[in-house]
Amino acid sequence: MKLLHCPMNGTRPISEFVFGGEFRDMPDPEASTDKEWAAYVHNRNGAPGLKKEWWYHGPSGTWFIAERNTLTEEVLRTYLFGQETAA
Amino acid sequence: MPLRLLKFAFSKNHPAPRFFRALEQPKKSYDVVIIGGGGHGLAAAYYLAKDHGITNVAVLERGYIGGGNTGRNTTIVRSNYLTPEGVNFYDASVKIYEGLSEELDLNLFYSNRGHFTLAHTESAMRTMRWRAEVNKHVGVESRVVGPDEIAKACPQLDLSCSGHAPILGALYHAPGSIARHDGVAWGYARGADRQGAEIFQNTEVTGIDVQSGKVAGVHTSRGYIATKKVLSAVAGFTPRVTKMVDLDTPIVIHPLQACVTEPMKPWLNSILVSGSLHVYVSQSSRGELVMGSSLDPYEVHSTRSSLDFVEGLTSHMLDMFPFLSNVKIVRQWAGMADMTPDFAPIMGKTPVEGFYLDAGWGTWGFKATPISGKTMAETIANDRAPEMIHSFRLSRFEDYELTGEKGAASVGH
Amino acid sequence: MSNRIGKKPGEWINREATLKFSYEGKDFTAYEGDTISSALWAAGERVLGRSFKYHRPRGVLSSANHDVNVMMTDGIDTNMRGDVVAVRDGMKLEAVNTVGGVKADRNRFVDSISPLLPVGFYYKAFHTPRRFFPFWEKMIRKAAGLGIVNFNFPRVLKRKTTTHCDLLVIGAGPAGLTAALVGADAGLEVTLVDENQYAGGSLTYDRAGASEAASKLSELIGRVKTHQGISLHTASYAAGYYTDHLIPIVGENGITKVRAKAVIVATGVFEQPPVFRYNDLPGVMLGSSAQRLIHRYAVKPFHTGIVVTANHHGYRVALDLLQAGVKVSALIDMRELGEVSVLEEDVVRKGVVVHKGCCVYEALPSKGQMGVAGAVICTYDEATNQANPSNSFTLECDGIAMSAGWAPAAALLYQAGTQMRYDDTTQQFVPAKLPQGVFTAGKVNGAFALEQRLQDGERAGNEVLRYLGKSAPEVNVERHAGSSPSHPYPIVPHPKAKNFVDFDEDIQVKDFVNAAKEGFDNIELMKRFTTVGMGPSQGKHSNMNAIRILGKIRGLPVEKIGTTTARPFFHPTPIGHLAGRGFHPHRLTPMHGWHEEAGAEFTEVGAWLRAAYYHKPDISKQEVIQEEALSVRQSVGIIDGGSLGKFEVHCAEAAEYLERFYAGKFASQAVGETRYALMLDESGVVVDDGVVARLAQDVFYITVSTSNAAAVYREMQRWLQIWKLQIGLINVTGAYGLINVAGPNARAVVGKLAKHSLADSDLPKGGIRETEIAGIAVRLVRVGFVSNLAYEIHVPAGSAVHVWNALMDAGANFGIRPFGTDAQRLLRLEMGNHLVGHDTDGLTNPYEIGAEWAISMDKPFFVGQRSLKIIAKRPVKKRLVHFMLEEGFSGEMPFECNLVMIQDEIKGRVTSISFTRSANRVIGFAYVDPKDVDPGSKFQIRTDSGAIVVATVVKAPFVKLERGA
Ligand SMILES: Cc1cc2nc3c(=O)[nH]c(=O)nc-3n(C[C@H](O)[C@H](O)[C@H](O)COP(=O)(O)OP(=O)(O)OC[C@H]3O[C@@H](n4cnc5c(N)ncnc54)[C@H](O)[C@@H]3O)c2cc1C
Repeated sequence: MKLLHCPMNGTRPISEFVFGGEFRDMPDPEASTDKEWAAYVHNRNGAPGLKKEWWYHGPSGTWFIAERNTLTEEVLRTYLFGQETAA
Repeated sequence: MPLRLLKFAFSKNHPAPRFFRALEQPKKSYDVVIIGGGGHGLAAAYYLAKDHGITNVAVLERGYIGGGNTGRNTTIVRSNYLTPEGVNFYDASVKIYEGLSEELDLNLFYSNRGHFTLAHTESAMRTMRWRAEVNKHVGVESRVVGPDEIAKACPQLDLSCSGHAPILGALYHAPGSIARHDGVAWGYARGADRQGAEIFQNTEVTGIDVQSGKVAGVHTSRGYIATKKVLSAVAGFTPRVTKMVDLDTPIVIHPLQACVTEPMKPWLNSILVSGSLHVYVSQSSRGELVMGSSLDPYEVHSTRSSLDFVEGLTSHMLDMFPFLSNVKIVRQWAGMADMTPDFAPIMGKTPVEGFYLDAGWGTWGFKATPISGKTMAETIANDRAPEMIHSFRLSRFEDYELTGEKGAASVGH
Repeated sequence: MSNRIGKKPGEWINREATLKFSYEGKDFTAYEGDTISSALWAAGERVLGRSFKYHRPRGVLSSANHDVNVMMTDGIDTNMRGDVVAVRDGMKLEAVNTVGGVKADRNRFVDSISPLLPVGFYYKAFHTPRRFFPFWEKMIRKAAGLGIVNFNFPRVLKRKTTTHCDLLVIGAGPAGLTAALVGADAGLEVTLVDENQYAGGSLTYDRAGASEAASKLSELIGRVKTHQGISLHTASYAAGYYTDHLIPIVGENGITKVRAKAVIVATGVFEQPPVFRYNDLPGVMLGSSAQRLIHRYAVKPFHTGIVVTANHHGYRVALDLLQAGVKVSALIDMRELGEVSVLEEDVVRKGVVVHKGCCVYEALPSKGQMGVAGAVICTYDEATNQANPSNSFTLECDGIAMSAGWAPAAALLYQAGTQMRYDDTTQQFVPAKLPQGVFTAGKVNGAFALEQRLQDGERAGNEVLRYLGKSAPEVNVERHAGSSPSHPYPIVPHPKAKNFVDFDEDIQVKDFVNAAKEGFDNIELMKRFTTVGMGPSQGKHSNMNAIRILGKIRGLPVEKIGTTTARPFFHPTPIGHLAGRGFHPHRLTPMHGWHEEAGAEFTEVGAWLRAAYYHKPDISKQEVIQEEALSVRQSVGIIDGGSLGKFEVHCAEAAEYLERFYAGKFASQAVGETRYALMLDESGVVVDDGVVARLAQDVFYITVSTSNAAAVYREMQRWLQIWKLQIGLINVTGAYGLINVAGPNARAVVGKLAKHSLADSDLPKGGIRETEIAGIAVRLVRVGFVSNLAYEIHVPAGSAVHVWNALMDAGANFGIRPFGTDAQRLLRLEMGNHLVGHDTDGLTNPYEIGAEWAISMDKPFFVGQRSLKIIAKRPVKKRLVHFMLEEGFSGEMPFECNLVMIQDEIKGRVTSISFTRSANRVIGFAYVDPKDVDPGSKFQIRTDSGAIVVATVVKAPFVKLERGA
């Protein structure tokens, strides 16, 4: 990829970013079984495709979500968490 | 010159048979279908036949055999791991490797070099001792050595690492070796083929037919094949295949890169790994320095190369060997490493009956090729995993019983 | 300089400057601008190197940076490529990889035993019996490899720069030059690079004995050089094509990383050798190589030569040879119909005999295979690709120029993700689908005639303009017409072989046939088994023929065979260039200079440099550490803790936030109070610990460990986004210095400078006050990590040195002494405090370290809580305990990470261990079997040598808690 667009700072080289892994919705800790919780903690959707991921722009300390195709490295869009519709 | 080469001099027809049959169309059904013609899949086919007499086996490979991580890896074989289970397992693999050229009658250039894991910090020294102690306990030859012993084995190494990261000591592991990766795949392929297993290249598994929780067959680019037992040995493709049976695992794919220099006369005997500098290096029998680094920092399902990798790696190589400034890098490449959270593999049965998994080999699976083939063959033959791979079961994550190899694999391989 | 000819227009040598050098002990002269090969060739030297495997004599092949058999050493550097490295005055050169010199090379015997070395021979032998393998291995390793590395070669630091431009054009041949001009004329900022010393591409050498190319060249170069919008870099190659159009340009002095809005790849083609027996003799060279020698270096390639060709280009070569004064005794055209164009008439008119439908069946070696003596010519059937030696005849010559076709220099295009297709009219792979922003022009795009290439450059330039949103015309380029520039199968079988396909690796046609026979019959397996294309030239002159041969073997068209993957680098690239200057940045605390003056030995902790201990003359490190620790126990010590992570959490929901982030409770925390905070990850593993202070109802101040600070802060920010709580989170790590004054006299020292009373009632243990020290507003915390009485002073970084000095002055009477991180580790051990990361590892949960007290399972939620509920149901496998060795222990001292054993089972390990003078004991932390945790229990540690040491579980602290004055 080499270049990534930070919603706050614009396009920057990848070396300024930290990959935060796939974004996953936390199941309700109370309602989920041990098995479901263990799956949430450990398992990942590892298959290639368009994914929502956490990325962190180090110098400015900005976390954001990138929708990225893990097969082609193409980034569809990036936005601050929860501001999906604004993007 | 060895006598066995003489026949080539006296024959016009290159008296060597095919390594494996050229097969085009799979049969309608097999007892076992192995997905993935890398070292692991081929070794499993070999041991299914050899140890268990199961020969009605198809190995399906989407590209060419050994073309996955097997053919891209930097071939370090060692057993100086951190957990007793790990050490024991990899040691069994090393033992098979030592006699494998003879067994397969193919020179794998299994070259015993000795392996130094360099420690630049006190905390690294502590980990080295931990590994040494566990290794000794299991009967594996590893010990903590000081800078003088490292200097003796590799006088060219700048022990101060250009002043940036002075070397305090190392874990020395005498059995550490390198081998020819292609040879391992080809040797197992030939051995499996000769015993009756059928290998199909350019044959991709596109789906797995599961009927009421049991495997019934596989869909492939060459049609449907009925089978009750499927082994997935696809390394960097594991998430794609587990998806076919709706199985979730912790595996994520990160590229792992490597590069080689132009050939030069032999000067580096040992295999050197530096966790702090994130590099490892050995000199191949052709004279090239084969070098690698840590994993790419983010998930990508491709084998593209990056400039960052080679810049970082060379900078650290120069810290260790300042005189390499004008030695040239010829080629860089990458594989797709199937990473687990605890840096241990995932092997054995799964909740889907008849679907066996051999995965999570990340940056370290080449050394395990023989033993994983053997233990997976046993698992398939008996429908029960042997004790040796119990710690590697998929359910360990659900059980919160991870197998902590992370400390031994900060720079893996 | 017997083979030097008269001045050539635009020649690359400077006849004014003569250089002296030696090669293999013999003296030579060169002109400035000569490459090693051109100078030696001019002097009549023919054997410039030995081949890798068979040690056959080799000379000039391409003059285009893939003459891999001509590698030199000057005693300092090695593997220097003769065809591109310029001669420097005084060089003393030798060929690499010979025993006894290039002419007498004792390893040449390998050539005669080559039948014993069939393809893949090293897989087939040497492994039985096993015990002999090390012997063979040694032999093989010694034989392999090229040059000898000079262990005294200096570390070279090269500069890296980054450039952004609108258009990067790679390749300054006619197409690239034209494209650059089109772009620059329209106002684009253009960077134009070419690997050669001078721009011009084939215009600099492919001239067909005429002046057209030279005048076109000076016209184009004239315009490019004076154009404001073009920056031209020669002697610079694009080393690879990386994601997002990142292209490193490698030049003599470093690497320029170029990121352009659009890239035009106009890299041309590599000439491919026809394959016939002894096509590797010195004197047999590519036609373009002969042309390069002539026009760039004014060197006559040979005296009497023949040209073997299978395309139009061979005729151009013949004309150039004639013009250079070479007697061309024949032109052998492998094509049945020959060349139907004016070129043929031209050649014939100049007296050259053309033999159509013929091939060179074999070249005839001169003595010792050191050169060419002649060639055997016979007919060649294009339909069957068979030669018919029954009708052969012999021609005498001392050189053969070969022109049978081309392979695109498409590595960069492949790396960029271009789909290529095989084009039948040019018999070449050409781009079919280019990625966004990537364009191509010239021969690499299948445009061969000069007019066509110029048009193609114009087309590409205009396409770029449109891509960048400018209006520009669509330029039509005529398709290639006439005979194909490449022959579909320029390969002549010979029963005695030595018809080389890959010169790097000495691979002959039969090697491919035999590899296929053994089952290696797809291109990737064939490459790996034969090693074709794996040498230093990476298949530049061999991959295309290998594909053609495999197609023939399998009866498949070339496009069905496909290509192998083209990986970086385009040319082998020096490690020093790639490494660059190598930065090793560190963070320093405000007191760094003070520590330096005080003789500190520094250690890296995370990104920081911290004082580990302070050297004292004539005292060992161990002694110093004990002394530093003792001064804390007995009086007072001072340590710089500025590297600790420091964060502030503000606003109404701050407490709620911390309750979720850390395992403990913070809602109930009183203002002015500090609390221990344990951080878990979602799987319940201990990742960090720290101290949370409440400065106000809605202000918390947190310190965390140095090495985890960045990661902890990142996680804090991430959870903040997820929870969307109304807080302000500020990283003040660098804003505050941190000074810890510890020991029984700490109160006396700090008290002297403090604005407020430090009495227990005013600042109890665990309390925090905002006050002034030495006139500076600080946060003062009463801590107890290394000593029962200690104060942490958090002071604005700018005033930290002032406060530090004031404390040193105030402590002088008490003998205040600085201590480093080593003594700190010992002190906390004496106090019985574990260190996360030192006494824990990547899988440790709170139950294993007895941290139940620090987790509040009754809270509604905290990170890791749900996993702990699962973990709590499972038996704990090991527990961390404090231990002591027996008094006066004098056995083998255990080390950290020695194992704790019960019989033959590993139960745990020592995580911390040290002798302490304060307690006069060896003390430590260890993981033991959960049944062995009660004070007084004994357990066994196995030392390095295997000895068993018995340790006793004790209650911490190990030292008597001193009472402050
Ligand atoms: C750069 C690099 C360096 C390494 N260095 C070392 C090292 O020094 N030491 C070490 O021990 N390990 C190392 N490794 C790790 C090691 O290479 C791998 O763990 C090991 O080779 C895995 O072998 P495998 O047979 O499981 O997988 P692979 O060799 O990857 O084989 C899997 C095969 O499955 C095929 N496949 C995938 N999907 C399908 C499908 N749907 N249908 C059919 N076929 C399919 C693929 O084409 C592939 O050929 C390294 C890895 C890399 C990338």
